[in-house]
Amino acid sequence: MKNHHFIISSQLFVYMLLLASVLTAACSGSDDGVEEEVFSSSPEGVFILNEGNYNSGNATLSYYNPDTKTVQNGVFQRANGRKLGDTGQSIIIWDGVAYIAVENSGIVWGIDVETFKVKGQVVASSETKIINPRYVHIVNSQKAYVTDLYSPYVNVFNPKTFTWTKAISTQQAESKGYCSTEEMVQVGKYVYTNCWSYSNKILVFDTERDEMVQEMVLSSWQPKSMKVDKNGKLWVITDGGYTMEDESFGDDVPHLYRIDALTGTVELDQALDTDEANVQIEMNGEKDTVYIINNDIYRMSVTDSHVPVRPFISAPVDSNGKRHKLYGIGVHPRNGEIYVADAIDYAQSGVVYRYTASGTLIDQFRVGINPNHFAFR
Amino acid sequence: MRLPSFILSFLLFPVLLMAQEERKTVHLDDVQVVANRRLKDVGVEMTKLDTVILHDNISLSMADILSKNSTVFVKSYGRATESLVEFRGTSPSHTQVTWNGMRINSPMLGTLDFSTIPAYFIDEANLYHGASSINLIGGGLGGAIEMKNKPVEEKGWGAQFVQGIGSFDTYDDFLRLTYSNDRLSSSTRIVYSTADNDYRYTNYDKKTDVYDADGNWLRSYHPEERNKSGYFDDFHVLQDLFYDAGNGNQLGLSLWYTHSKRGLPFLSVDYKDDSDFKNEQRLNTLRGVLSWEQRKEQTTLSVRGGYSYSDVGYEYFTTRQEVATSITNSQSYSNTAFLQANLDWMLSPQLMLMGGADFYYTHVNSHDRSPFHIGKNFDKGRPEYHANLQARWRPLPIFSLAGVIRQEVYRDDFVAPIPALFADLILYQPWNLVLKASVARNYRYPSMDDLYFQPGGNPDLSPEKGFTYDAGLEMGVKKKRWTLRANATLFDSHISDWILWTPNTKGFWEPSNVKKVHNYGLEAMLDGSVLLAKDWKLSLLANFAWTPSKNVGEDINDNDASYGKQLCYVPKVSANVNARLQWRSWTLAYQWNHYSERYTTTSNEVNYITGRLRPYYMTDLSLEKTFRIRAIDCAVKGVVNNLYSTEYVTVLSRPMPRRNYEIYLTIKL
Repeated sequence: MKNHHFIISSQLFVYMLLLASVLTAACSGSDDGVEEEVFSSSPEGVFILNEGNYNSGNATLSYYNPDTKTVQNGVFQRANGRKLGDTGQSIIIWDGVAYIAVENSGIVWGIDVETFKVKGQVVASSETKIINPRYVHIVNSQKAYVTDLYSPYVNVFNPKTFTWTKAISTQQAESKGYCSTEEMVQVGKYVYTNCWSYSNKILVFDTERDEMVQEMVLSSWQPKSMKVDKNGKLWVITDGGYTMEDESFGDDVPHLYRIDALTGTVELDQALDTDEANVQIEMNGEKDTVYIINNDIYRMSVTDSHVPVRPFISAPVDSNGKRHKLYGIGVHPRNGEIYVADAIDYAQSGVVYRYTASGTLIDQFRVGINPNHFAFR
Repeated sequence: MRLPSFILSFLLFPVLLMAQEERKTVHLDDVQVVANRRLKDVGVEMTKLDTVILHDNISLSMADILSKNSTVFVKSYGRATESLVEFRGTSPSHTQVTWNGMRINSPMLGTLDFSTIPAYFIDEANLYHGASSINLIGGGLGGAIEMKNKPVEEKGWGAQFVQGIGSFDTYDDFLRLTYSNDRLSSSTRIVYSTADNDYRYTNYDKKTDVYDADGNWLRSYHPEERNKSGYFDDFHVLQDLFYDAGNGNQLGLSLWYTHSKRGLPFLSVDYKDDSDFKNEQRLNTLRGVLSWEQRKEQTTLSVRGGYSYSDVGYEYFTTRQEVATSITNSQSYSNTAFLQANLDWMLSPQLMLMGGADFYYTHVNSHDRSPFHIGKNFDKGRPEYHANLQARWRPLPIFSLAGVIRQEVYRDDFVAPIPALFADLILYQPWNLVLKASVARNYRYPSMDDLYFQPGGNPDLSPEKGFTYDAGLEMGVKKKRWTLRANATLFDSHISDWILWTPNTKGFWEPSNVKKVHNYGLEAMLDGSVLLAKDWKLSLLANFAWTPSKNVGEDINDNDASYGKQLCYVPKVSANVNARLQWRSWTLAYQWNHYSERYTTTSNEVNYITGRLRPYYMTDLSLEKTFRIRAIDCAVKGVVNNLYSTEYVTVLSRPMPRRNYEIYLTIKL
């Protein structure tokens, strides 16, 4: 009798298990990725790289058609069914391919500029010395350099095959983060890179020997952005570093430099009057005009001796008198149009402003989180 | 929908081990009746978690318990990784947590990682929602959680051992030795949990391309990947001693040591190889509370002294030769001394006065030795003085009032007084139906990181300010064959000067008092049990919360689309159901847990490609069989977590495990 009772009750238990499963069967859901879309983008267009939030994996890529004034957001993921990654750092275009360094994912993507389809990638695998890739510079059709926030090497890969070939030591001491390398410009056979993180140096690489051959030391800390003009002069802007309670490096004052690339002579050193500006520098297509973000946008000829007092374009101010924070700048190499970004609160879609070469606002549109770099087809 | 047969086999595994069937009487739960309603609880919105819930599974942390049994939202970064608790859509630092009377929030961050607290170490947990937290502590703009250890009830020697084995090479061991007589109670608990935790998941954030021999693209697919660097190795030991010195005097000592080593899992969008990197957090914590309590007819006097030590190391480095070796190498040491005195004075059955004072002194030394960091984070000490006065009055048998005022001083900075008022009205005695209401002003003083962290810390920060109104109904009925408890609370809360860290242009983050948030909504709970037939009992606990939590701060500029929008990662709706079916010595437990969609942008853009996380529904099922072999009580339990193998994330790029299994063997002497 007892066994019989037990068998019935056991059956009831099994029944209860099944009932529980039926009750909740309809409740499960999954995220099964994004369907791939086919794109055929306009021949003239602007890529906007949206950095996203660190450690969130929400970097995205936008594509803007200046003719139709339309923007497509999230095009990398929509075209490839995969995410761009965590912390999109930079984008350049070379020979129909956009090279995108996604820093905290440890990857450099190469995508077709028309279809946005992935053509190849270089990842921070054991064979390389890549950790957090920052910028890509194409030396020639066989050689591209990748700078890095943490690696004391500049990595080299083939931009056609995406094959990693070697790494060049920065020959910097490990202490104080001297390993950080950032933007690159080329004058003759030399590639110059600024060392931003806790540094005040510019390193010079010989692209024939693939060696670090020289370093320049600046008077101000954290060179953040660097471009080269038509005369072979380096334009460098620092954020000035910062002071802390026990220790400091820098004085919080950004500086603008013009340096002769070959001789290393500092021809211009101007302290910028700013408080918390996101200083950035850009060059037009002819490389005869410098654009600087320092709260507002300033413009100066490469032969000028100082930054003008009045801005070329004032940061937009809303009806409540609040000034927009400008986060990134790009200048169209052919028509001189200026694109600047407003990151707003760093946690929502940013806004891009498009101005004519003479500074008239033409359009504004929403892109992704923290738009920081532009690349022009 | 058919359950795979192996799940059934797994759940019914206890049958295979079944010894002699034991008849076990099942009882209904107790219900607090109005006549016994404590004056101390006037107007209080509290969720009580008892040992049945807390000691469900050895592998469960307090984060798991809270997410499955209460209305709070647990923001988890993965299995055995940081899990933060948010009441009513506030931030994790708005949840104050005490253990045996001592606040244990991190003095640096103001938060507490609940994944580091084994639920088996806590004997009672009380969740004070909104204004009710002021009865316990100040600064809980969302609420407060009180965790306690209690004397052993069973006299004599006792021992309990639990061995758990689970998926992903998970092993949980628990040993408890107890002794109790009329005066002394001793309990020693040890937990050791370890796992590779390298669960596999389909990575929808990546795709692998397949090419033919000529390099032409053929197809692509989402790869199966494993959770990289998700291992953990946690050891905890807790010693409790209670001594009844007679005349209502009780002495208590609780000492709790934790050593934890955990890998920090890689993002699903990380292409680096985890064999090249070590990303690890190491934690050592020692907490101790010594207490003396004197209960007399009209008064209860308690004095506590405590100490808390914590060192937290976080290291991220690459093991690749010649590449930078140390990216982050931070170490923080914090030492906190604590003193507390409380007096409860029952002047009459209708009037009670309470008063108390707390003192904390915290010293934090935080630094980072990696070459990518310069200087100390900070090295500071901070004294805190808290005092409170409380009065509770029952002018009518059906009506009670309470008032609380707190004053907090940090160094020489006087925070504005924290007042709260509570009221209770019995509407219908047979159902123990009570209307409760409260109103409170609350302040949270900035954490030490907020003020001092270098670079970025902002010594000019103001305390966060909160205003909360609550109103709710509570009832409880016990009949011969069933019990029912229920409550529902509406709340409305405004928080201003909310501290938010945002990136600056120098590459670090800075906090400022920028946000203003309006939280409102409904919290409801239903708890009942019914004797279905002889030896059969069904228990049900259901929680529901609707918590709109909206940014109402000033726009940053006219591009700012975040005004009036739900805060990031805060679900508007959360719900859970726990059902237990008992038959004699068998228990079938079913747990269901739901969070509505969560936004990842402040502007709640649903069209943004990573703009929201889908709602998820989680189901766990367990079957337990207790039996007795001679004088030894045994239990075998099989658990299936994530029964439907739902693929989900609770934070962007942090995949959670699919269906997984655990089995536990308990031996109790």
